[in-house]
Amino acid sequence: MKRGSFFSVFLLLTVSWLLISPARAAQPIVLGCPLSTAFLYGWDAERGFTLAMEEINAAGGVAVGSEKRPFKMEVIDTRDLEPGVPVSEALLAVEKLILDKKADFILGGPVRSEAALAAMPLLSKYKKVSILTSGVLTPKYSQMVAEQYDKFKYCFRIHGEAKNLVGEIFANFAELKQKYGFNNLFIMAQDVSHARGAAELVKKLATDKGWNVTGLEIYPTGATDFSMGLLKAKDSKTEIINIWMDMPESSILLKQWFDMKVPALPFGSTLAAAEQPGFWKATEGKGEYTLCNVVNAGNAPSNATPWTMKFYDAYAKRWGIEPEGLGSSSSYMAVYVLKDGIERAGSLDPDKVVAALEKTDLMGVYGRLRFDPKSHQVIPSTDPKEGAVGSILQWQAGKRVVVYPKSIAMGEIKLPPWMQK
Amino acid sequence: MEILIYGTINSVALALYALGFALVYGISRLPNFAHGALYVLSGFITWSALNTLKLNYLLSIILAMAVTALIGAVIYRLFLIRVRGMEISEIIASYAIGLAILEGLRWGGFKGMTYTLPPFIEGSASIAGISVDYQRISVIGIGAALVAVLWLFTHHTRIGLALRGMAQDERAALMLGIDSDVMAVVAMAVGSMLAALAAILLLPLGNIVVESGYNVLILAIAVCIVGGLGSWIGAVLAAFLIGFAQILTVVYLGAHFQMVVALLAIILTLILKPSGLFGRQKELEERV
Repeated sequence: MKRGSFFSVFLLLTVSWLLISPARAAQPIVLGCPLSTAFLYGWDAERGFTLAMEEINAAGGVAVGSEKRPFKMEVIDTRDLEPGVPVSEALLAVEKLILDKKADFILGGPVRSEAALAAMPLLSKYKKVSILTSGVLTPKYSQMVAEQYDKFKYCFRIHGEAKNLVGEIFANFAELKQKYGFNNLFIMAQDVSHARGAAELVKKLATDKGWNVTGLEIYPTGATDFSMGLLKAKDSKTEIINIWMDMPESSILLKQWFDMKVPALPFGSTLAAAEQPGFWKATEGKGEYTLCNVVNAGNAPSNATPWTMKFYDAYAKRWGIEPEGLGSSSSYMAVYVLKDGIERAGSLDPDKVVAALEKTDLMGVYGRLRFDPKSHQVIPSTDPKEGAVGSILQWQAGKRVVVYPKSIAMGEIKLPPWMQK
Repeated sequence: MEILIYGTINSVALALYALGFALVYGISRLPNFAHGALYVLSGFITWSALNTLKLNYLLSIILAMAVTALIGAVIYRLFLIRVRGMEISEIIASYAIGLAILEGLRWGGFKGMTYTLPPFIEGSASIAGISVDYQRISVIGIGAALVAVLWLFTHHTRIGLALRGMAQDERAALMLGIDSDVMAVVAMAVGSMLAALAAILLLPLGNIVVESGYNVLILAIAVCIVGGLGSWIGAVLAAFLIGFAQILTVVYLGAHFQMVVALLAIILTLILKPSGLFGRQKELEERV
């Protein structure tokens, strides 16, 4: 009798435990994250994923049909942002995530455009739904999906791309032209696919729009001296220096700009160094007045949507630092968008999830999130009620102040003292 | 004028990268492929002393130079002594040590662009209408002083003369009672300290990133090959050749060709004069 009671209690406890924690008992959904973890666009994405995953798991996990399943993350360092590391390394990392780590979905990268493009056939081969969240700005990615939909339909991108960034900077250039009469533009870019392409595009568009392009300099990844380019800009009476660089050494450029008192406003389209809160300390305040595009709202403080500051504060609390790079809010949202897609699909079947993701319509951290059904590119807008909004910030008195788009701006563009007439 | 000013700064920077490497090879015939890693390591040591230990800047610099010299000596004593004389093994072993240092730093969390050293003197001056910051001017001054000190050290001190003796003829030096291994330890320590000095002078111009270790190594090798392996006078001259060629390339061709200059210089030297400007190791073959 005693033994029977003991067995009954044990059975009751076991069944209760299984019922109380269904998410813990269920098989996790594995998110494979190929990221260049030693670089900003890698670690910011990893932090965004982790935060979203922890929130979702704490709330019970993902409803797959009638079952609740937790997310589990597997991160591999692709090293693709490092100079001299071949693209094949990133492809090996993606394949390892799929075959070895049994990833159900791929989120994040590869982060370098060249590597992301090269990974597309691999994702098709294994039918793995992928959402790019950080760093890959090349327009070719979404173009390839649109051109060969059946082959590349598993590839999505949830952050803005170079074309959006170019549009946003020209809106600002036009304002600066109108306000201060600026007309001379110098372009500095890193020798990588998206930056070269974007710099050429800016040069062409600027010329078409009547700007005088005073020079275009391409720097190798890892360059540490920009003095000659800055002197060229100074000599040619440049008023805006447009920068496309994601290497950490780009902070040197801003220090040199300050030391040489170049009378031109540094306007980074991609400028990894200036995105980070640590930029002020790294440049000893010399980077003040630098502008940079953090691609999506939420990566700098603003009130784009009710979720923006909620995310911003949660991130700061979890990691002890504010969101740092352009991949923070988009990586965070990618996990929620995927959860939403899986729940609507009711399955992990890649084709069903693709169909569900194409119908995504979610008010997120940086506005209304929808994918273009043909190119799988997130739909951009300057109004957060209509689409994913970008964010351009300027360093002012040690703070990152959002100055564009106007719908979410927290301040206006200021000029350094040596440019004021 | 700007080419002259910034060409000189770039050349002195290259000379600083290369002097330690040239000195070690010149004395002990040891190609120290951990040179770039020691450069980066000393930057992080200075940063840690300044920001974690809260030492003053001068003390941090002295500590970083001393620790890096010690690390260089330990590297030779523990690892490189075992493969001494086997050139390929020396390269592989020293490169592996460098790799371990750099990857260890990355693994230890030293990543990103927030690690910087403050300049010695803030502000900038105008030279013939060209704005140059004081840190760059001090690089030129200290670089020139360093070459003078090195010359005095190798010509007027007992250790310096012993080092030169080793460099000129190791067997003859051994017969005169100079201990080859002790001199190699001294050479590695001095070479590592020179890498640290270069880092302390040049890193305030930018930031401390692990990846720059590879660049510094490539540039040091390029300068030493063009100047002649082992000749530090050759290294200084080659630094000026490559330094000005790089600046002229940036001005007239474009910044993205800058790194090509150093690599092209290696190829051309190996084809036209393999011993470099002042090297002796291939002299006989070249004459024949």
